[in-house]
Amino acid sequence: MSELLQVTNITAGYGDGPAILDGAHLTVEPGKVHCIIGPNGAGKSTLLKAICGMLTIRKGDVVFKGKRLNGLRPDQILRAGICFVPQERALFPKMTVRENLRMGGFVLDDQRELERRIGEILERFPILKERADQQAGTMSGGQQQTLAMARTLIIKPDIVMLDEPSLGLAPKVVQEMFDIMKMMSAEGVTVLLVEQNALIGLKNSDWGVVLDLGRTLFEGPASTVLSDPRIQELYLGGKKAA
Amino acid sequence: MTDIIQILILGLALGGVIALMGSGLALVFGVMRIVNLAHPSLIIAGAYIAYWGAKLTGIDPIVMLPVAAAIMAGIGVLMYRLVFEREARNAKYSEMTVLLTFALAMIVEGVLGGLFTNTQRVTSPGYATDAFFLGDLFIPKGQLYAGLISLVIIGALSLFLKYSRLGYAIRATTQNREAAELLGVNVNLISVLAFAIGIGLAGAAGSLVSFVFSFFPAKHWEWIAMLMSVVVLGGMGSILGTVVAALLLSVIAAFVGTWVGATWSTMTFFLALFVILLIRPQGLFGEKPEMA
Repeated sequence: MSELLQVTNITAGYGDGPAILDGAHLTVEPGKVHCIIGPNGAGKSTLLKAICGMLTIRKGDVVFKGKRLNGLRPDQILRAGICFVPQERALFPKMTVRENLRMGGFVLDDQRELERRIGEILERFPILKERADQQAGTMSGGQQQTLAMARTLIIKPDIVMLDEPSLGLAPKVVQEMFDIMKMMSAEGVTVLLVEQNALIGLKNSDWGVVLDLGRTLFEGPASTVLSDPRIQELYLGGKKAA
Repeated sequence: MTDIIQILILGLALGGVIALMGSGLALVFGVMRIVNLAHPSLIIAGAYIAYWGAKLTGIDPIVMLPVAAAIMAGIGVLMYRLVFEREARNAKYSEMTVLLTFALAMIVEGVLGGLFTNTQRVTSPGYATDAFFLGDLFIPKGQLYAGLISLVIIGALSLFLKYSRLGYAIRATTQNREAAELLGVNVNLISVLAFAIGIGLAGAAGSLVSFVFSFFPAKHWEWIAMLMSVVVLGGMGSILGTVVAALLLSVIAAFVGTWVGATWSTMTFFLALFVILLIRPQGLFGEKPEMA
């Protein structure tokens, strides 16, 4: 297995507070969709924040394409090829859709190339093209999430990390988000997903990671995680995967 | 009718200068959530730079404007690095900056008082006491030039914020600091830059103020309420709001000053501050505050 990202027994927390992650590990393979599940407070979002440089890693290592990321700033990690969409979508509400996309390519120096890529994204996502000059804050939750996910594609990252993309969305819209995610994966973008709805998350993923109390309990193919009776009992509410 | 137009012209010209005085305050709050109570004292520091430039070398205060802006921007970088940067991630940052900038205002006042005494000063270029006449109307040249230059500077600032790459980064940081950081913006660098621009604007405003108002080190206490009311009415952090509010309140103050009495003119700003906070705390262009 040739891993793209390797997280090894990391300890991390907020400021000087207690460690939220303590012994979390993760292996990310290129081109696959990985879903992190676990109960509230397990440290799922904290793990993504630690990988993207928003939190200081106190112990352990995060290695991406053979390069250690510990201590790098979020902008440096983004330039390395890891993009993160947090729970609250991280849009700029008073900027238009087009301006938000332009911010998505902030790290690109070639402005002509940036405009070309924005054009490409607008062609691929007609709803964004329709609303290119609308302020992002005035769009619906689903449209905002589409924008947040589409925006990551501007820099053509290796890994996109999504923190609960389905949060607050109607079921029909949730499936649209997972369809976009699958499209990203089909194009070779590796996806690392945190999903509170473990069943739907795992069903749309290749690899599952179970996190609890800040440490990784289990990781393996999503189908294996889905069919494991202990996981079903503890994290899937006893539901059997169809 | 002529009286009304005359008052309107005087109010608008002065409003332009007040808009420039407030725009730096709005920018610094918008990007860094710093409620900079020291801003007016830094305007006065800028006014002294223009004053001494004019007094010692005979350079026109308008020509001194870029010099004052550059010097004050440099001072802004130092202030940010020494005072604000280390606390930037503190959860109580915004509240802390009120106390920090209050202390800074007193320090700046003390230093200026020590250096230049509390004597009232004003630069006196020829145009400061001259006027254009249009029939029965007159437009004081000093106020007109200051108002127009202020609006040109604010226009240039707006274009910079709207279209330049750095402007995008500043606007993005203003709207969502964490998101900007996640998209590759070095928010610390942007904060220093925005603070430097904000204090540079104070320097630029100081040059213009030096021939519009008389000033002395403690004068900033009069200006802080005026500027706060302009920034709060505009919507904390909104530069467009600051311009609209400055023009609006200056015109109202001009009418109050003429029809009610000069003493009540300043009261317009104080009263506006109370009314805005009671009726529409988010101001004209601000976001409605979220309920806790």
